[in-house]
Amino acid sequence: MSQDRARLLDPRFVSKLSRLDLKARLVVEGFLTGLHRSPYHGFSVEFAEHRQYMPGDPLRHLDWKVLAKSDRKYLKQYEEETNLRASLLVDTSASMAYGSAGITKLDYARQLAAALAYLMLTQNDAVGLFAFAQGRGEQIPPRSTMGHLRPLLLLLERLAPAGGTDFAASLHSLAERMTRRGLIVLFSDLLDEPERIEAAIHHFRHRKHEVLVFHILDPQELLFSFEREAVYIDSESGDRVTTRPQELRGDYRARVAAWKERLRQVCIEKQADYVPLTTDQPYDRALLEYLSKRARLL
Amino acid sequence: MPVFSFLNPSFLWALPVAAIPVIIHLLSRRRLPEISFPTTRFLKALEPNEVRRLRLRELLLLLLRTLALLFLVLAFARPSLTPRGAVTHAAAAVGILVDDSASMTALDEQARPRMQGALARAVALSEAARAGDELYLARATRPEDPETGRARDRVRLARALERLEPSPVPARLAEAARALRLALGRSALRERELYWITDFQRSNMTPEARAELGEAVRAGIRVYLLPVVQGRTPNHGFEAVDPETRPGPEGRGLEVRARLANHGDSPSDRLAIRVRRGDALVGGGDATLRAGETKWVSMPLEWGAARDSGDVPVVAETDEDAYALDDRWFAVLGAPRRLRVLRIAESRAGAPPPRYAALALDPSGDGGSGFSVETSAPEALLSLSRARHDAVLLEDVASLSGAAEGRLRSFLHEGGGLVVALGPHADADYYSHHLFPGLVSLTLERAEHAPEGGAFELRARVPGHAALEGLAVGVNSPLTQARLTGIMLGRAAAPAEVVVQTTGGYPLLVTAPSVSVFLSSLADDWGDFPFSGAFVPLVRGMVAHAARAGSAAGGEPRVGERPSAPLAEAPSGALFTRGPAGYSSPAAVETEGALYRAIADAPAPAPGFYTFESGGRPIATAAVNPDPIESDLDNVSTDSLRVEASGTRGAAAVTVITTRGALEAHLRDTRRGREVWMEFLVGAALFLIAELALGSALVIRP
Repeated sequence: MSQDRARLLDPRFVSKLSRLDLKARLVVEGFLTGLHRSPYHGFSVEFAEHRQYMPGDPLRHLDWKVLAKSDRKYLKQYEEETNLRASLLVDTSASMAYGSAGITKLDYARQLAAALAYLMLTQNDAVGLFAFAQGRGEQIPPRSTMGHLRPLLLLLERLAPAGGTDFAASLHSLAERMTRRGLIVLFSDLLDEPERIEAAIHHFRHRKHEVLVFHILDPQELLFSFEREAVYIDSESGDRVTTRPQELRGDYRARVAAWKERLRQVCIEKQADYVPLTTDQPYDRALLEYLSKRARLL
Repeated sequence: MPVFSFLNPSFLWALPVAAIPVIIHLLSRRRLPEISFPTTRFLKALEPNEVRRLRLRELLLLLLRTLALLFLVLAFARPSLTPRGAVTHAAAAVGILVDDSASMTALDEQARPRMQGALARAVALSEAARAGDELYLARATRPEDPETGRARDRVRLARALERLEPSPVPARLAEAARALRLALGRSALRERELYWITDFQRSNMTPEARAELGEAVRAGIRVYLLPVVQGRTPNHGFEAVDPETRPGPEGRGLEVRARLANHGDSPSDRLAIRVRRGDALVGGGDATLRAGETKWVSMPLEWGAARDSGDVPVVAETDEDAYALDDRWFAVLGAPRRLRVLRIAESRAGAPPPRYAALALDPSGDGGSGFSVETSAPEALLSLSRARHDAVLLEDVASLSGAAEGRLRSFLHEGGGLVVALGPHADADYYSHHLFPGLVSLTLERAEHAPEGGAFELRARVPGHAALEGLAVGVNSPLTQARLTGIMLGRAAAPAEVVVQTTGGYPLLVTAPSVSVFLSSLADDWGDFPFSGAFVPLVRGMVAHAARAGSAAGGEPRVGERPSAPLAEAPSGALFTRGPAGYSSPAAVETEGALYRAIADAPAPAPGFYTFESGGRPIATAAVNPDPIESDLDNVSTDSLRVEASGTRGAAAVTVITTRGALEAHLRDTRRGREVWMEFLVGAALFLIAELALGSALVIRP
């Protein structure tokens, strides 16, 4: 069982599945199966219907009035209420198309976003989706009905990497449009200047949003473990650099680590949650981070 | 600047191989895989520091690889460096002077004849000749006929070298070098070289030979000195054997005298000497010679009936050493000869003159000592005859009349000898200006007396001189404990020789051919010398030197000279000479005053006995020996010769090549250039090692 669960959370396995809704459901179910108790499946205050009492049901929800009137034991069931408004911001810049471990960063982000959307909707949270890249963007405003899942998944499936990332323009624009406070979940490789990322996060925080940053990188971006000399082409700017990886691997790794640390510091300063991910990591860590965040918010 | 060339230029076609690393580099750059990467910002950030440095290293690696291949290809092409002034590219006129003198028979450090090493060097020079070269060969013993030939006649020249054997005659290096210099000067070729292959024997390196070195340099000829030996080779040997036998001690038996020399830095201890007549041992003894000493050694002869038989050919032998030619000496011994001395002394104040000198010469008065003395007044000189006397002893004679002096000069011209002993009565002016001119280069000044309580000591100046025979003395060693209180001051000039001098450097015994002058008294006027042990041998030595010099005026023939022998009477028929090694030659007769001398027409080619025959009957025998000048194997420092000859043209004008290996290297360098393929190979290896080291250093980095 645990093996099946692990497979359901493995990005490479999940990416082999064809339908995104299936992927999302499998991921979430795999994830929830591993939890001992779901503290998040709650009851809302709005009454929805009665159900006959069954032995073992908690007496807290017994409808005493009905019992008094009809001497029948019914339980009051309440319609769960949306208590979180989440916006999934997926970076679709060209750099997200990179994948060395059988899955691109965008695919990883797509599947993770789908799983989160599914999880959120099953928890009656409102979920919206914003795909952004330099000079373009698509969005679906947040809603909390399960029927909202389909357009979300359709948009996620349709996302294609192109163009560069422009946090200053894209995120600032989104921040301006999101008037209701909520949770901003950002899926990006953050390949921009940390100062610009800081400014964008600051903008969301200024609008009283909570920000959860999934920093998605390919393992090769961290390790730079190429062997032979090659021409490396920047997927966004098209810049070409010819180099021998073994000569400067050490310095490269040091620089990337420093850059990640800088991003982490930026997020800490702006009270945003920073979750570094690589595309070979299972999804459960991301989902746990989300649930942890949600628990803190509610 | 050295000229760079390749002996195997066909390999230069492989030079493009050196471009392989560059081509690979360029091709690999073109075919580099292109990898799309999310961002190159981190790579570009590294570029200014790391990437440029690595590119520099990469270029360095490329350079090292290219150089390694380049050097490898060049090594196969056998690169060579030609020194400045080498004759690689131009035909050269090469003069080869080969010393084939007697000393070249001596053994070198490897116990091989020096000639062998000399010929090997000459052959190497001959074989190094190329088309267009002219080769000239000159033998040091026969400089008058240099063998010449162009390089295409190299085979002929090689055959001539094969036939070359050392000749037992002295080298004439100056003449041989001059002949070669002139031959090279006549050559139309501009490149000219002169090689001296010799042992650079000090006795042969005359001032003329040294000057000739400088002349060649000034003529624009590059001179190479090729010594066949290094350092001094010890040698002892005969320099002469006195053809006259002498009476033995106290008149008993006979003695033969041999003059031996030790040309070495260590003494020759108890050198054995044997005298043979045919196969029979007829005499001998031993002698000990100090380092560098030359002395006469007397040895008893035991041949009984042969004592009065006239000319007896004998061979004196000693232990063989590096130079064998002078370890065997040929001599024709004559019967013992009594020297007849006419002693001229003046009676003064009615007293007869002191007889010390007469007693020293003939103590018993019977001539048993080998001397007979007749004492007379100066007037007796008017009837002086060579037939009755061998020498005249003037003892403290004030002066001579003109007639007596004239007769005395005639006597000397006929081969007689003169001994002058001065004294308190001798007229210095007369001797200086009348008697001595023409006889001995000696000028007298005045009598000098030692200060009160002082005296003049007698010190030998030329220990090996015949006048000092029988006195065991070294240079400047005292002859005796006796002292002289007065001497006649005089100045001698060459060819007169000061044999004995006094303390203070005053000449005491001066000799010239047939003349001995003692510049003090042989009486007891000026000291106690007549009572000393050195008196008798010195007086006898002075007289013997004067008397025998005349009889030996013709000299003993040497190898390379025409054999000659004195004849008692004129031969009746034609003379013919026979000698060793098939020698035969007609001979002629020359007169020497009252004597006759037979002289062969052809020079003697080898040491040995040469017999003169008249009508098929032997009438005289001549002993021919090598010139003792070849015996001293001490050599001149070639470096000093180089410096001396180079003069203002710089030391490069003369080159010393000491070994055969060095000669071969020199010929290789100058004819074909110095091959440097090994250096190139090492260079390629070093470049490869550097490339590997540099490459490894890069890989080590994380």
